[in-house]
Amino acid sequence: MTLLRRGRWITGIALLLLGGLYVRALVFTPEERLQGLAQKIYYVHVPSAWSAMLAMGMVGLASILFLLLKDARYDRFASASAEVGTAFSLVMLTTGPLWARPIWGTWWTWDARLTLTLMLFFLFIGYQVLRGAVTDPGLRARYAAVVGICGLVLLPFIHLSVYLFRTLHPMPIVLKPGRPSLPGSMLETLLLSFGVFTLLYVGFVMQRYAIGERSHDA
Amino acid sequence: MTPDVVPPTGGYMVAAYVVAAVILLGYTVVLWRRGGSISKT
Amino acid sequence: MGELVRHAWLVARKDLHLEFRSRTAITSALVFTALVLVVFEHGRDPTAVATIDLAPSILWVTFSFAGMLTLNRAFNAELENQALDGLLLAPISRTSLFLGKLVANLAFVAVVQVTGLLLFTLFFNVPVWKVWAPLVSVMILATVGFIAVGTLFSAMVVRTRFAELMLPVLLLPFLLPPLIAAVEVTAKLFAGRPLSEVAGWLRLLAAYDVAFVSLATLLFPATVTE
Repeated sequence: MTLLRRGRWITGIALLLLGGLYVRALVFTPEERLQGLAQKIYYVHVPSAWSAMLAMGMVGLASILFLLLKDARYDRFASASAEVGTAFSLVMLTTGPLWARPIWGTWWTWDARLTLTLMLFFLFIGYQVLRGAVTDPGLRARYAAVVGICGLVLLPFIHLSVYLFRTLHPMPIVLKPGRPSLPGSMLETLLLSFGVFTLLYVGFVMQRYAIGERSHDA
Repeated sequence: MTPDVVPPTGGYMVAAYVVAAVILLGYTVVLWRRGGSISKT
Repeated sequence: MGELVRHAWLVARKDLHLEFRSRTAITSALVFTALVLVVFEHGRDPTAVATIDLAPSILWVTFSFAGMLTLNRAFNAELENQALDGLLLAPISRTSLFLGKLVANLAFVAVVQVTGLLLFTLFFNVPVWKVWAPLVSVMILATVGFIAVGTLFSAMVVRTRFAELMLPVLLLPFLLPPLIAAVEVTAKLFAGRPLSEVAGWLRLLAAYDVAFVSLATLLFPATVTE
């Protein structure tokens, strides 16, 4: 089976699982007492943020490998991951304000977490705009790799700033040190969502990589 | 299960889930079309 | 190591010399600073908004603009007459070239920032002198970080189409952490908060600088290798 075909299959399965996630989150997961139904946006917003971060991480990693090993396949992978990351960032940036509005009364605040999700989106956009602006493929790959690596190094500073900032955003309750403080069933739904979105990432990247391979355009 | 009375925040939840689905499905379609028809060999 | 420093200084000195003769970037930056100060002053209601509330924003808008202006200038000069190729052929390491550019950029920005700060203290009644040491520290810490990334990016961007547009687009995500930290710290300093409250931010800034100066130095050769 070609890469494209396999990618399509995986995407298809992931989308089916996404449907299952939707049902589980909307129907079978208990409602959070203080926030009401809008809290359930969590199960879509958080994993999309995870996928976006994963995508950026992969871009960075592939960029490092490309500069070290000079293999164009890493560059192609970085390009694919960046595009997929943009899609997940979009989900993150749209579901975030939809969650913020009922809970905090405002679509947007310039608090740390939101500001930095916007930055992640700009990173992806900038990366792809740069790729589009350079015509020579060798130069393009190198420049993109430089930006990709810088983007990767930026991510921990993103995460660190969240803790320093006086913020409205809910403190990380799963990834903070110590045990996660979500009740059982909600935690399961969240973990399921991570799995689904990761699988979706994989399927998308496989397809996008295959497309880049075919057109030699990355 | 879902409560009998829909709390005021339900609309946002629906909107978010719909938007997310649209974006993800939309991207799936975009990739599908760029992939084109593939040979079965 | 000594040669590295010597060559870097040569490159820096060349840039500083050129700029001193033309003075375009510094002049426009100073004009912009004065403009910002006037606009903000006239935009506020003096009975409702204290200058001190606007002060951090005023300062950092000015400082970041100065940075962007400097960066645009940095490699444009080289692109004319293909001076960049000449530089690359010179028997100096890529690292020296980068460090020299970085030092020159920092020097320009420093001149504008110091002048801007002086203008600010002259025209506004903000007790800057009480906190001048931590303030200057923040200015240095924040600026070094984004100028390092900016110097690296401007080397790439100068060869692309729409170069002036590309640089801000690429740089924006890298500007935000140091800027946010800088404004937060500046605000706390002017409000008379104890230094312990800003220690975390300052550590973040320092870590950012170490990370990105090293990274930019490391990656620069990849942008100019033929």
